[in-house]
Amino acid sequence: MTIVGSTQGGAVYDRGYRPYEGRRGGRAEARWALWRLTIRRALGLRRSWRQKVMPWTLLGIVTIPAIVNVGVGYLSRDTPASDFRFITYREYVGVSAAMLLFVAVTAPDAVCPDRHDRVLPLIFSRQLTGVDYVLAKVGAIATIVFGFSVIPQLVLFVGQTLVSDNGALDYYLDNDEVLWQVPVAAALLALWYAVIAVALASLTDRRIVGGIALLGLALVTSAIAGVFIGANDGEHSIMFLVNLLALPLALRDVVFLGHLHHSSPLSGSEGAAWFAGIEYAVITVAAFALLFWRYREVDL
Amino acid sequence: MQPMAASGGSFATPAPAPSPSLLRTHELSLVYPGGNTALAGLSVDVPRGAVGLVGANGAGKTTLFRLMLGLLFPTHGAIEVVGRTVASDPIGIRSQLGYMPEHDCLPTDQSAADFVSTFGELAGLPARAARQRASDVLDLVGLDEARFRPIGGFSTGMRQRTKLAQALVADPELLLLDEPTAGLDPVGREEMLALVERLAGFGISVLFATHLLDDVQRVCDHVVMIDGGRLVLAGPIDQLVERTGMVRVEVGGRADAVPALANALTQRGIRVKVLDQHVIDVETTGDGDEVYDAVRDQIADLGLRLYSLSSRHRSLDDLFLQEASRP
Repeated sequence: MTIVGSTQGGAVYDRGYRPYEGRRGGRAEARWALWRLTIRRALGLRRSWRQKVMPWTLLGIVTIPAIVNVGVGYLSRDTPASDFRFITYREYVGVSAAMLLFVAVTAPDAVCPDRHDRVLPLIFSRQLTGVDYVLAKVGAIATIVFGFSVIPQLVLFVGQTLVSDNGALDYYLDNDEVLWQVPVAAALLALWYAVIAVALASLTDRRIVGGIALLGLALVTSAIAGVFIGANDGEHSIMFLVNLLALPLALRDVVFLGHLHHSSPLSGSEGAAWFAGIEYAVITVAAFALLFWRYREVDL
Repeated sequence: MQPMAASGGSFATPAPAPSPSLLRTHELSLVYPGGNTALAGLSVDVPRGAVGLVGANGAGKTTLFRLMLGLLFPTHGAIEVVGRTVASDPIGIRSQLGYMPEHDCLPTDQSAADFVSTFGELAGLPARAARQRASDVLDLVGLDEARFRPIGGFSTGMRQRTKLAQALVADPELLLLDEPTAGLDPVGREEMLALVERLAGFGISVLFATHLLDDVQRVCDHVVMIDGGRLVLAGPIDQLVERTGMVRVEVGGRADAVPALANALTQRGIRVKVLDQHVIDVETTGDGDEVYDAVRDQIADLGLRLYSLSSRHRSLDDLFLQEASRP
């Protein structure tokens, strides 16, 4: 350290350059860092309050049914209405439009600016490959969707356990299967939303286009499925599988019930659950393939 | 810089030397799938320090950077960076390198501190260490007071320094700077060059890609000149410039003074260039003193009048133009 100037009673020091001698991670740490940084950005952490409003408001919205259910359960304790259920654990997985809106906002925000601001060359000048980038980005969005799916369920489960007429232990033992069903169904849903949303967003460098593309795809496939159902005189039809929003709900039913729920537009169609599983796998793999192709190389 | 002593696309002596080269390439070639040749048989051995990588647009500078970062693989030949063969660990090599691109690459909605610490974390530093390093390097590049402001409000000079800071944050062995003075006003350019010069003083090696030879001459010890993917010239700048010094001689006293002097010097193996009927440039390649003596003696022998004699070093521009124009 050298003194570059002095004043009465003080001195200005040029601290120069200090080499870094601490711990330094490799490729795995870089991938984790990208995952962590993407989550931080999506949740608005270390960003202005404006960036925090959207994710945390949506988390609040998706938690409302759980709070209402627990509240009703508490108020109706020891009454004939105590068995009232506003929503079940199965229904609570993937029914919120808020979740779709959240993914439509956060997935493009996770990848579009990197291309738009030409940050990708800098990212790939670190110990990261296109595969690492895709896994970190999809993983981050899937993690948040998973969290936003599971946290309200936890609120519901803990709340119901505490207000149960039969006592907390009985409620827990009667419903402990949801402790694996909810995470598995939420994980399937989170991966589905995340990989499709990120794949669509990777095709553009404009966030709004990426978001509209996801919402548009959901709307169009839903409308097409509606047309098929209409053409089938409202009967259940396997063609409902074209509805990309409804597809993971069929898998959710299988996770919770072992078969499709009777209210599902797919129920009654032979092999519908298998077809749903195959379609899920094919589209997920195709979306990953698109992402790996989009980030296979980058120009400096 | 030494010529490579290897053949067949690999290094003959792969064992690391006590002080490994900054960059060694052997017959390095890259031909894109479309048939466009980006690099053609490039062989150099560049020592550590501040090195200029000079060439016109499309000369192959950025391609060389991509090969160094392991983002591309050569179609022929081998490349070794800071003593490590890129082909053996194309991703791991990046932990030793800091890259500053030419183009704008900054998110406008982030603060400089956030951006630089982000890239510290992506380089594998723990989050807390990355924030501390970001603070240190932003201080070093002169952005200590602006580090919490959004990058969108930065001037071009501040943006360039932010890019430099992100390249420095993980304490690389080698900085790859791609046109760091591009788009800067004279003051900003001077500040950037001073900064690069200062980094070299801290022991950080720098590979400075530019087409501005003045910048290279100002801050670099060595230069590698490429054109059309081929090596034009490489070596220590001092030696290259000194080796190709010139003496400008203005003579008179008779009508054929210049042709006579040129003829006499040429017969003694000295290269000359006649500028007009009174002025002649005499190349002092090699031992300059002998050339001075020869000029003096010939003028005396021919009975010419010496009006002026001034020595001048050729600039790197002169060198580049001369070497690049050779068949």
